[in-house]
Amino acid sequence: MLHNDNIQEEVLRTLQSIDGIKRAKTNPFLYTRLKEKMQQENSRWEKIFSFISRPLVAFAILILVMVINTWAVWGTATQDSNTAENNITVLSEIASEYNQVASTGNYEYEMINQ
Amino acid sequence: MTLTAEMELIEQLKQKDENAFKLIVDQWKDLVYNTVLGIVQNETEAEDLTQDVFIKVFENIRSFKGESKLSTWLYRIATTTALDFLRSKKRKKRFGFIFSLSGNEEKEDGQIPDFHHPGVSLDNKERAKLLFKAIARLPENQKAAYTLHKLEGLSYREISEILNTSVAAVESLMSRANGNLRRQLEEYYRNQ
Repeated sequence: MLHNDNIQEEVLRTLQSIDGIKRAKTNPFLYTRLKEKMQQENSRWEKIFSFISRPLVAFAILILVMVINTWAVWGTATQDSNTAENNITVLSEIASEYNQVASTGNYEYEMINQ
Repeated sequence: MTLTAEMELIEQLKQKDENAFKLIVDQWKDLVYNTVLGIVQNETEAEDLTQDVFIKVFENIRSFKGESKLSTWLYRIATTTALDFLRSKKRKKRFGFIFSLSGNEEKEDGQIPDFHHPGVSLDNKERAKLLFKAIARLPENQKAAYTLHKLEGLSYREISEILNTSVAAVESLMSRANGNLRRQLEEYYRNQ
């Protein structure tokens, strides 16, 4: 095990080990590789665009969008009618409940008067 | 390169001039590579990221308003790209670890691989390896500030422009980075 003073000296020497470090040099063929990478990226996009612009693919995408739209519109309409039906059910339940309460009230009143 | 020549080059690059792009790459490739290498500590990844930095430069040169020097802008893109890369690498490792728990992938041991910077003198090689391992464990901002100061020899003012912060904040980052490195190294030598 190192003595405390030695530890401090080692730490200091290690911290100073990259003082005056030289700049790392890149590969001399970097530009060639860079151009290649850029061309690959461009050709990847070109491939995607050319695939999308094929008549069959474009038509399929169009159909898919239309199906999704129809489904969304139909879904919203069904949901609206369900909500309306639910509202009517709730209202009729409340109405029938009140009616029953009212009729029960009358019955009790009649029984008392008898 | 004079400021006028630099502005002229930028204007040419905005017109997508290939010669201007080649000149920019030739002029600043080592600056970008050394910055990225200091942060990611892997030569293959650093070369790949250097290419990515220049692709970003080519694609986003129109957003460069000339309010700072081109080198400051390049340092900023290089630092951000390298830190983003480390973040995504960490995410992948975490994901890999989850996989390893379910027995699908090899186990992640969290070890930082040895890195030898090519610019370090031979007699300092082993010590520098230790120091780079400690630098790799620093928080992002401290790592960026320390790397720019030590490897690129930038002043605190230049670093503050690159990191979009104040000089006082850079001073604080450097002081915390030095403190953290000292602690890590002390622990290492105490266990020797």
